[in-house]
Amino acid sequence: MNGFASTARLVVVGGMTSYRALFNWTTPSMYIGTLFASPLFQLLFFVYVGRGLGVAGDEFLIVGNAVLSCSVAGIFGGTMAIANERRYGTLGTVLLSPRSRAAIFLGRGLPYVLNGALVSVTMLGAAALLLGWRTPVDRLPALVLTTLVGAIACTAFGLTLGSVGLRLRDIWLVTNITSALMLLLTGVIVPSGELPALLRGIGSVLPLTHSVAAARHITDGDGFGAAGPDLLIEVGIAVAYTLIAVVLLRVFETEARRRAVLDAM
Amino acid sequence: MYAIEADNLHRTYRTSSGWIRRTRRTITAVDGVSFQVPPGELFGLLGPNGAGKTTTIKILNTLLLPTGGTARIHGLDVTRHTAEVRRRIGYVFGGDRGLYDRLSALDNLRYFAELYEVDPRVQRRRIEELLELVGLTGRQKERVEGYSRGMKQRLHIARGLLHDPDVIFLDEPTLGVDPVAARDLRAMIAELVRSGRTVLLTTHYMFEAEELCDRIGVITSGRMRALGTPGELKRHAQDRVVVEAEVYGVDEEQLDALRAERGVRGVTVDQRGMLQVIVVQCDIDGDAEPERFRSFVRQSLAHLKLGRVEVREPTLEDAYVGIVTGQEAAAPETTAVLS
Ligand SMILES: Nc1ncnc2c1ncn2[C@@H]1O[C@H](COP(=O)(O)OP(=O)(O)O)[C@@H](O)[C@H]1O
Ligand SMILES: [Mg+2]
Repeated sequence: MNGFASTARLVVVGGMTSYRALFNWTTPSMYIGTLFASPLFQLLFFVYVGRGLGVAGDEFLIVGNAVLSCSVAGIFGGTMAIANERRYGTLGTVLLSPRSRAAIFLGRGLPYVLNGALVSVTMLGAAALLLGWRTPVDRLPALVLTTLVGAIACTAFGLTLGSVGLRLRDIWLVTNITSALMLLLTGVIVPSGELPALLRGIGSVLPLTHSVAAARHITDGDGFGAAGPDLLIEVGIAVAYTLIAVVLLRVFETEARRRAVLDAM
Repeated sequence: MYAIEADNLHRTYRTSSGWIRRTRRTITAVDGVSFQVPPGELFGLLGPNGAGKTTTIKILNTLLLPTGGTARIHGLDVTRHTAEVRRRIGYVFGGDRGLYDRLSALDNLRYFAELYEVDPRVQRRRIEELLELVGLTGRQKERVEGYSRGMKQRLHIARGLLHDPDVIFLDEPTLGVDPVAARDLRAMIAELVRSGRTVLLTTHYMFEAEELCDRIGVITSGRMRALGTPGELKRHAQDRVVVEAEVYGVDEEQLDALRAERGVRGVTVDQRGMLQVIVVQCDIDGDAEPERFRSFVRQSLAHLKLGRVEVREPTLEDAYVGIVTGQEAAAPETTAVLS
């Protein structure tokens, strides 16, 4: 097998296997409950609060919640995909692999990207079914693409947290808090314009802030061109977190060999 | 060319503790270890807990860099040719961890086959062969979390062999495994050597080392205290006899009294239910000495309920105990290294 095919196999086959190995929620009830049921209730909650208090229209909250709903798979999944090595004591045997760290660890993100995008699209479908939300069919491809980009960015962010988790025992605290903060900072529920400059600044480097802005352009009928810049920034954020994750993994591995700092080995 | 070469290896760990007033300590885990293992040999590294065995293995298998010295696998420097070294070695450690509990044995092996770059065309056959070798055929679809300690250990070995390495590091592979499963594991290890592989085994069971190893290195406090074939190590104890006494209710004070006697090199106690078996290692210089030590031990313990008191030739275990206990007191310069 040539180098490219062999690496592709590691990314895809390895990534899928590690999904079952390291993701905590692979039993059907945990999977559906955590990834689908709870974001659905959250979506309904916000839409009815929006209707009851008259603070925002249905579409604003539906699109925001649907984009946000990929974050559990992306951020928690991404963290688990790396940091759970600590739980199983497998890091040493993984690091003894002669293969590319980027291929090993980034491939693990792939299932979570697909998983996250699936959750987002499901939420949109549920909104159409349960809340009577409608949008012209020709806007759907762009909308799906946007949720996919958002899911990639979330997963890249999750992988960054997971890498930190190799060193930091209490990474779940960080993951929990960040995940909650995204509700406030990314403009999915609260319009970014309402936030103080500092919070808006933090929000602008988190995943989803720009993909939700892009999604709003699309559902508002501004056309794909109007969504383009935000989508590109979101891609940039995904690339940035991916690079950070790769650099952290390399630094930690080198440090681990030099100073024996990874107790998971 | 040697399969494994360690040349004056050193490794220190820095640890720090405390939040406000951080105290830093430097621990010397490996302190100038050298040895060579020719291809096809089973080399045992023996020593008490904390002696530096695992640290030595982790330097040799590239997980840790040495803070001093060099190591080579088939002539490849472990620091400079890390990737090539990794392709030629397998690493198996003892204990419950190191496998993905929620995956089946088969999926664990498949995943590591990807990581260790086993050609996909031969993967299936290779995995089948290994499952057969370690006796897990038929159980491969079960999740590892339901495996017994011994089954996990066998799966560990299969994982370590996936990429067909010719040098294998086994770090306490029988730790916590029941006696029958441990015997199976030893048979498996012997088979690995018979098939031409080089094995470095660490253990703190002397009988295991004696049964399996071509040569044994005894390491304490990060230093090689003795190195040789089991027969050569036994000679460490040749000017010695052992007095073994069965007794009930001996206390530390009485043991210290035994230790204080001229010519007594070490005293250890083995608790067997209510019974204690005291092993007194004695240096002899004369034919009358063994009897002198025996009556000395008998007299010292006369006020206790005393069973059999016998003089016997030292075993490899006695030699090991003598090396370990003797060296803790002796200055390192006086270390005699056989080779
Ligand atoms: N990561 C580490 N950080 C600090 N000290 C360590 C670390 N690993 C091992 N040590 C210390 O180094 C010494 C040798 O340990 P080790 O090589 O595990 O011995 P063995 O395998 O012979 O029991 C021990 O004192 C141990 O406490
Ligand atoms: Mg050890």
